[in-house]
Amino acid sequence: MLTWPAMAMLFVFAVFPLFIMLASSFQSDDGTAGIVLSNYARFFSKNTYLKLTGRTIVNSLLVTVISLIISYPLAYIMAKKLKGMKNVIMVLIIIPFFTNQLVRVYSWLIFLQDGGILESLLNSVGLVHGSLGILYTKTAVIIGLVHAFFPYMVITIYMALERMDNSLVEASSCLGASAFTTFRKIIFPISMPGVISGIMLVFVPCLGTFVEPRILGGVNGTVIGTVIEDQFFEIYGWNFGAAIAFILLAMVLISMAAISKWGKRYEE
Amino acid sequence: MKKALSKIYVLIILLYLYVPIIVLMLMGFNESRYNSMPFKLSFQWYQALAKDETLITAARNSLILAFITGIICVTLATLFILGQRFLSGRVKSVFDSVSMMPMSIPWLIMGLSLLLLIRALNLDKSMFFVGAGHVVISLPYSLLVLKARMASMDQSLEEMSASLGATPFTTFRRVTLPAIAPAMVAGGFLSFMISFDNFPISYFLTPSGISTLPIEIQSSIKFGFTPEINAVSTVIIGISLLCLAVTGLIMGSSLKSMMGKGDK
Repeated sequence: MLTWPAMAMLFVFAVFPLFIMLASSFQSDDGTAGIVLSNYARFFSKNTYLKLTGRTIVNSLLVTVISLIISYPLAYIMAKKLKGMKNVIMVLIIIPFFTNQLVRVYSWLIFLQDGGILESLLNSVGLVHGSLGILYTKTAVIIGLVHAFFPYMVITIYMALERMDNSLVEASSCLGASAFTTFRKIIFPISMPGVISGIMLVFVPCLGTFVEPRILGGVNGTVIGTVIEDQFFEIYGWNFGAAIAFILLAMVLISMAAISKWGKRYEE
Repeated sequence: MKKALSKIYVLIILLYLYVPIIVLMLMGFNESRYNSMPFKLSFQWYQALAKDETLITAARNSLILAFITGIICVTLATLFILGQRFLSGRVKSVFDSVSMMPMSIPWLIMGLSLLLLIRALNLDKSMFFVGAGHVVISLPYSLLVLKARMASMDQSLEEMSASLGATPFTTFRRVTLPAIAPAMVAGGFLSFMISFDNFPISYFLTPSGISTLPIEIQSSIKFGFTPEINAVSTVIIGISLLCLAVTGLIMGSSLKSMMGKGDK
């Protein structure tokens, strides 16, 4: 009985609205009565929207891969090389999580802007001449998104590596395996559950972002999230927006299911 | 990998994480209107902020909203974990997954689905729905913290108290409550922080004429900003860090007792 208030809250303000959203997605924006499929038909028949879906997935994949590449060595260093500093590094990795999303995006905006600090810096060492031209490109979006999400990956991989039994590594090198072979055959497979949870925590939320792409990408940052935002704030095609949101939700749920199924293979 | 190389790598990552934020903070103290060099110390943006009614009102709204969200989340989460033990089978698994659901659904979708609910009910946007949205997305975090604490608690204490003749209420007050109190505070701060920082939900649901700090920052970015935004951002970072420090201190001690000797 004590669980009811929380559950009532979640059912009324989280679950039920999703059903309303589903219902809205089958209504037309031009006033046609009854249940229509036109919103979905419009999405799947237009090249622009399909391309956008593709771009959203590619963006999220890129962010995930880059996050993995920079996080793995860091997690490894924390777990095996600089053990004495691991707590300090962990705290420093976690703190930016708790800075406001908009503050973080804004900080990249002024850092990357033409005439900004990075430009002055690169100009003064002669790496770049004139304006930087990074802001309002896809690169800026990726930089901002990796910045927002890679700490998750560091934490999950670190936790997997931390649990690892060091005697396995010693045994492997005793038996004459090279460092690379040991990594490939022992360390990496053992850390796979951490890598997979990290992928889940980076790829999935990346699909639904709209703030970073909008602010750092400008017109080049259009993704599904920004298209949905436009439907609600600029174009007033709420029902069409609901349909796109539902497609996004389906993408989120499908990728979550696929990633967790992949993760199951590595469970002991 | 040599130690020095490792240190350099860590340093590079930390620079990537922190340099933009530090630049933002420094530029709040710079005279330049365009966040550019050269650096000339000036407090004009903070002075402007102190006089900016819009931003101050937005800050007050954010704080009130986050405070209410924090209180409601802790209350609901505490009741939930106390009652959860009596659930079984299907109900338990449904409740468990529903309680964590808002963590995996993009906030964009949560926000606009609530907006569509408001439309379906023929109502106007209001702070009530903003609050409801904030509670729903912050609740899982309070729940996680409390669940972790509950899992590490020695259940036999409660049984002992009951078998010694204490009423369920006395047991709760004398045994359970003191054990979970730190987690309640930490969970409250965490929810406070989630709400205080939230943009997407507020963006979709806030009625026109009312705004929160993240909304003000977004509209400044859209319609032209001055380093006053740096000043207000610095204040926001300060508030978040304070909450984080409190949560960390409280949870740190209980996390350590949870993990026992494992850590060191």
